[in-house]
Amino acid sequence: MKLDLDQLRDLIRLLDESNLTEIEVEHDDDRIRVRRDPVASQSVAPGAVASSTHPSGAPAAEEDEGSYVTSPFVGTFYRASSPESDAFVEVGDSIAPGQVLCIVEAMKLMNEIESEVAGTIVDVLVENGKPVEYGDRLFRIETT
Amino acid sequence: MFEKVLIANRGEIALRVIRTCRELGLRTVAVHSEIDTDALHTRLADEAICIGPADPTRSYLHIPAIIAAAEITGADAVHPGYGFLSENPEFAETCAQCSLEFIGPLPEQMRRWGDKVSARALAKSLGLPTIEGTELVEDVDDAVKKAEALGFPVLLKASGGGGGRGMHVLESKEELRAIFETARSESRAAFGNDALYFEKFIERPRHIEFQILGDKHGNIHVLGERECSIQRRHQKILEEAPSVALSDEMRNDMSATIQRAIGEAGYISAGTLEFLLDDRGELTFLEMNPRIQVEHPVTELVMGVDLIAEQIRVADGQPLELPERPLSARGHAIECRINAEDPDTFAPSPGTITELHMAGGTGVRVDSGVYGGGRVPPNYDPLIAKLIVHAPTRAQAIAKMQRALSETLIGGIRTNIPLHQRILAHPAFAEGRFSTRFLDELQAERLLTAPVRH
Repeated sequence: MKLDLDQLRDLIRLLDESNLTEIEVEHDDDRIRVRRDPVASQSVAPGAVASSTHPSGAPAAEEDEGSYVTSPFVGTFYRASSPESDAFVEVGDSIAPGQVLCIVEAMKLMNEIESEVAGTIVDVLVENGKPVEYGDRLFRIETT
Repeated sequence: MFEKVLIANRGEIALRVIRTCRELGLRTVAVHSEIDTDALHTRLADEAICIGPADPTRSYLHIPAIIAAAEITGADAVHPGYGFLSENPEFAETCAQCSLEFIGPLPEQMRRWGDKVSARALAKSLGLPTIEGTELVEDVDDAVKKAEALGFPVLLKASGGGGGRGMHVLESKEELRAIFETARSESRAAFGNDALYFEKFIERPRHIEFQILGDKHGNIHVLGERECSIQRRHQKILEEAPSVALSDEMRNDMSATIQRAIGEAGYISAGTLEFLLDDRGELTFLEMNPRIQVEHPVTELVMGVDLIAEQIRVADGQPLELPERPLSARGHAIECRINAEDPDTFAPSPGTITELHMAGGTGVRVDSGVYGGGRVPPNYDPLIAKLIVHAPTRAQAIAKMQRALSETLIGGIRTNIPLHQRILAHPAFAEGRFSTRFLDELQAERLLTAPVRH
């Protein structure tokens, strides 16, 4: 199948008018896939929040692997129990369910955020001391 | 003056507050639930913070999340809008403890007026004419005794009720005995409080309310009345200012009485005193709402006052700068609440707004919380926009509203616009002859005269 611009335009229009996030057309050995992020990313004033990743937005394809620990509160993110202490976890650490990963402080209350899964910390996505919103991604974890 | 205001609300009222803040040069913080990520208030505020999931008890009603959002954004004041936490004294107290200025009355003022039985007693002690009613009833025998002393028909009301819920009209003691336990358990389930009391039932009252504003220097102003008799199940649908049912004398007398009474009790910020007007022309106090009301724009248009700006100035400690004499209304204003609901069955109609064209032109104001392509989530109030008109006379205002409604196009969801058109076209409405029963009677009339469908 030759790439036909009109066909492609039709596919895009079809996607646009539907609730679908992805359309794939297969014909012989050719394949066209049109997809979109179901939740448009929301612009927030610069510097207002640490992360603009949206909780319910589907991750883009390259981020698809692994799972994320998201913030259950709006508040301030801390990697350690005090400024002098070591961070609860570092990249590469193995973690167990129930293990404390970080603190999100809201209204002077230190809420310890525990892991729900066993796995390895692949990435720490928020800087220490930065504000986080409800649903912001805090850690990327490779589950085991 | 504070610099950054967090708006603890959503929808049209959040936008209403954002607009005035912007005009006053204040920065704004919107808080939103996950489902409101693309909502208009989220988009138009200077900053937006996601505070929780769609369930309002975990977002818009969740005090710690809202305070934390104020902390991380450095907001120094909070406007609660109406509904949600606007009448919650604990929220106002928590704001104060966290050095956030709560834009509204003091917590003790909210408590004083929040309980309906004690509010009525307070109003009476302040010299306001109050509706005849009883203390809380103890049990069914006590209820019968109190109801008989008051005289049937009576209205059985839940002390914790509001928004027109938790009320029963009772004609006889047999009816009362039959319903008492049910009413008590309903009240417990709905409001977490099974305290009940009686009020004298007025058959065909009008609902009239007076707008007040108070500052931190003891000044109280009364900004005229609003006519809110067009209701469905005690939910207001269409409001106007001034009311055709009040003479200048009645209006001025009641304004003076309220000014003196509230001046004595003390009150800060915007508030509304609700009254029933019976067919003998007597106004009786019903309750006081310590917050901005949905229908505040009709007062703003006829009085030439920005009530949200006044609330902000008062919270900042500035004295009200309104004329000493009671303000008098200029022209006539009408507001139609546009709800996402079926105009006949009143079933909610959430969904995506495929196209949106709101009315414009002279004398038309739109306070809306939606946009074309936006979504009306099923989780919240169905109010999506308020269409408000201002004209020299009531007849001109009605014509203007009819014109404005005819221009308004909202696609993809159903709205109550056809209902508004029926109300405005009705001769009794045009003549100003109506009570809070108007809409029930209109529906009944419609059923009688509707063409039979096969």
